[in-house]
Amino acid sequence: MPEARLPEQFRDLEQWIGWSLETEGERSDRRQASAMEDITAFYEAMLARMEEVLPYLEQFSLEELPDDAKRLFYLTLSLAEVAPAVEQFGQPSVVDGYDIKRFVASHR
Amino acid sequence: MAIQTHHDTDAGTNGTVWHEAYPELGTGPIPIEPCVSAEYFELERERIYKKTWLNVGRIEQLPRPGDYFVKDLPVCDTSVILTRGRDGVLQAFHNMCSHRGNKIVWDQHGSCQNFTCKFHGWSYGLDGSLRFVPDEERFCDLKKDRLGLTPVRADVWEGFIFINLDPTPPETLTEHLGELGAGLEGYPFAHLTTCYAWSTELKANWKVLKDAFHEAYHVPFLHKRSLPDSFTSPDNPYAHAFAFRLYERNHRMSVFGNPGHQPSPVELLAHRFGASIVKRDWEMADLPPGVNPTRSQFWAFDANMIFPNFDVFVFDGTYLTHNFWPLAPARTLWEVKTYFPAAQNTAQRFSQEYSKVLLREALLEDASTLEATQSMLASGAKKEFVLQDQELLVRHGHKVIEDMVGFYRRP
Repeated sequence: MPEARLPEQFRDLEQWIGWSLETEGERSDRRQASAMEDITAFYEAMLARMEEVLPYLEQFSLEELPDDAKRLFYLTLSLAEVAPAVEQFGQPSVVDGYDIKRFVASHR
Repeated sequence: MAIQTHHDTDAGTNGTVWHEAYPELGTGPIPIEPCVSAEYFELERERIYKKTWLNVGRIEQLPRPGDYFVKDLPVCDTSVILTRGRDGVLQAFHNMCSHRGNKIVWDQHGSCQNFTCKFHGWSYGLDGSLRFVPDEERFCDLKKDRLGLTPVRADVWEGFIFINLDPTPPETLTEHLGELGAGLEGYPFAHLTTCYAWSTELKANWKVLKDAFHEAYHVPFLHKRSLPDSFTSPDNPYAHAFAFRLYERNHRMSVFGNPGHQPSPVELLAHRFGASIVKRDWEMADLPPGVNPTRSQFWAFDANMIFPNFDVFVFDGTYLTHNFWPLAPARTLWEVKTYFPAAQNTAQRFSQEYSKVLLREALLEDASTLEATQSMLASGAKKEFVLQDQELLVRHGHKVIEDMVGFYRRP
């Protein structure tokens, strides 16, 4: 058994652990490099659990998230990252958009 | 209160001709030359950028005594250090050693007691005074009290830091901001302290960038995917802004928001915990008089443009800014910042993530045409832009610049 990386009641999301990324740059890179089927599958899996995920995370302060909760929190940020790909564009990148690699974030 | 979705006088479909209120602007085409001419660009640098109040940051970048940040301003041929001194006072200086002219501070921000030149070790306090000169006795008649860093005029409005490179500016910052600035005072800028920022260098003239954000005519076309029904409706298919106001050099338009906007699933989730550029349930009572000035129920946001290159777009619960920094006739550094209250929990942080990602996607659409546009402007095939009524701010912006540049008045 590999070590569990998410809180126990969210083990069903373990398969998406690769989306648990700390920075917008990392999340965006993964979105841009992923196939639409994978993005959509992740989106649907996360969206289906958000009503449990958000109240669970609420018990911790932002600054003192335990490691497993922090990984889960980063998954919610990746849901925000991929939402427009699924809901607006139907493809990983902005349709006919400016090159996101040139649009440099100075935040995390 | 139920929001009406049928025709309303300020839904943008009332047939107002905004140009009639400003007959001095005319209605004809405007020249393309200012967006491609190297001569025009040089005049803008000399007559506008080196003489006008310029936004370079916010006070949250200098929270403690000893904090500093550097703003390189190639458009003004300088680099400026912004400091908060031991006494808490905010000051600005040219980033240049008094000895042999070396650039003093090389990193972009930090906190320190002194600035020490890497070349010969001259050291300055955060108040700009020259504190220490190695081997000082070898200089003849060194007047240390006259060899401080060269000060730059700096002032703060609503937490925004402005500088002016003209040692004797013809107007104060308050005068420069005028009625537009006064009307915004009281907006909760000081409460919205979490900043997400992007920047990019585009191969386009700074006015080509700026003009792209100064009309909503492009929204149903360029943003048909990212914002399909947020700023348009069956009654207002062309995203007509419902109020315009031109001041001497600044201006504002109030942008229509569709009350029938259908939020996506993740948007719906995000809006439970925070604001976004497409959220609609706002508290009008809290807004200062210069925000949604007509108190329209169709208000989405106000696009406020502060001359020459600073935009402040205010929404309910979030705001964003643009700074368009000219680098060359066909090169611009574009900085975008979006602000939220400090997240109190993970749900609020998730909400902000969605909001900033959605904004980013719309901005990537906004930026997508600009280099292609510039490349065709350079062809010279056409000499003029043709503007419609809703592009009033583009027309005004070009006139204000030309009034200061005087390119078409030159002998």
